[in-house]
Amino acid sequence: MSALHYLDTAPAPGKRASLVLAVAVHVALAIFLIVGVSWRSTPPTSVQVELWNATPGLVTAAPKPSAPPPPPPPPPEPKVAPKPAPEPPPPVKPVAKPDIAVKKEPEKKHEPKPEPKPEPKPEKKPEPKPEPKPEKKPEPKPEPKAEKKPEPPRPDFSSALNDELNQVNKKVSRQQSDNRLKNLAEAETATVARNIGRGDYAAKISAKVRGYVVLPPNVQGNPEAVFQVEQLITGEVISVKLQKSSGNPALDAAVERAIHNASPLPKPDSGQPDRVITIKYRPRET
Amino acid sequence: MNVTQDLSILHLITNASAVVQLVMALLAGVSFMSWYYIFRKWFAVRLARNKTEQFERDFWSGGDLANLYQSAVNDRHHAGAMERIFESGFREFTKLRGQKNLEAKDVVDGSRRAMRATYQREVDGLEDHLAFLASVGSVSPYVGLFGTVWGIMHAFRGLSNVGQATLASVAPGIAEALVATAIGLFAAIPAVLAYNRFAYDIDRLSTRFESFMEEFSNILQRQMR
Repeated sequence: MSALHYLDTAPAPGKRASLVLAVAVHVALAIFLIVGVSWRSTPPTSVQVELWNATPGLVTAAPKPSAPPPPPPPPPEPKVAPKPAPEPPPPVKPVAKPDIAVKKEPEKKHEPKPEPKPEPKPEKKPEPKPEPKPEKKPEPKPEPKAEKKPEPPRPDFSSALNDELNQVNKKVSRQQSDNRLKNLAEAETATVARNIGRGDYAAKISAKVRGYVVLPPNVQGNPEAVFQVEQLITGEVISVKLQKSSGNPALDAAVERAIHNASPLPKPDSGQPDRVITIKYRPRET
Repeated sequence: MNVTQDLSILHLITNASAVVQLVMALLAGVSFMSWYYIFRKWFAVRLARNKTEQFERDFWSGGDLANLYQSAVNDRHHAGAMERIFESGFREFTKLRGQKNLEAKDVVDGSRRAMRATYQREVDGLEDHLAFLASVGSVSPYVGLFGTVWGIMHAFRGLSNVGQATLASVAPGIAEALVATAIGLFAAIPAVLAYNRFAYDIDRLSTRFESFMEEFSNILQRQMR
């Protein structure tokens, strides 16, 4: 008895209490960190921008109408420009048209033919000359590579359809100018800005992004793609998330590239831009 | 429509890489253990101090030593450290005093040795787990730092796959990684504070025990005459 006698002491006090208290300390800290400290937990109010193109051809035409509001719009053309640049200018015109023409004709019988064909033409003629080389530098490297993928098919079409299309184009070329004015007007009105009455801001963004979109050749129907874009205060695009796919991965990718290329996005006239904006894109008006 | 791109703690922890998450889990466990021992030590030290004060009052109030010894033996589960030291010393003293051929000096020395043994056992019990707190205090910042370094390495490696290197593409990774250091510091700071505090408290208690042992030896020596 005497040997164990010394060890026969009271049990260590407060085991359970300390366990409970230790849990309480951590739970309290966790609650404090998660609930109490909120780093930017208030979601920024978002602006929705809807992009509609009156016609597929307008994709390239768009920058011009929108040019007045934001200074940056000119850059859109460079993408078109670099492609034709390697080739001699004349072949380029037919090349672009067949693409659209071949695909659109079946779908678009209810629509007036002149619309798709005429548009590519006017843009390409003026653009290659002034802008091809100077514009290439400012562009980030990844873009040219990305852009080239949709293009390769064009030469094939072009060689086959050159002659026919040239004739058609000449007839159409006069109508096109009228049509384009119409289309531009439609596009302007179709660019809908919601929320907060910052219509001008939304219009600027849509105009700029639209200018960068290079439509893939096989877009069918008029699917809508919705993107969630995160931007810095400077308008620099941080991330583009596809929120609702248009169902056509190539189109999604093209629009996503366009949004990236449109960075920095235009800023609103007053105040800071919202961190997160929603951009809806439809290839053409229904 | 609105994705909250907030950098809430929860968001950061769930998005961290596996190694960083492992480090954070380890640190959370260590932090929990250290808080558990902090509270246990806190209770134990406070109880020991109260008991010591109570026993000193009883002892110096001039009561009979035999009565004190009897109450200490009867109520052993509620006896404090100093009471147990007294008990062991007095028990040894009564045993040795019965033997005729021992000198007074030997009797007192014997009882002092018994008290010292109990004293060491008691102090050892009080200091139990203090080393854990010391280790947590010194090591967990480094563990957290390891998690952070690893997370930042991860973030920068991810950067090499991105064409355009922007701060925005590394910032979340770094923020995630830094959470590991935060947790490490959260574990370390209380542990260091508690270790210093308890080491000081126990030091003071053991000084009191030692002075009591000396004084009690004197009393026993006087009783031998």
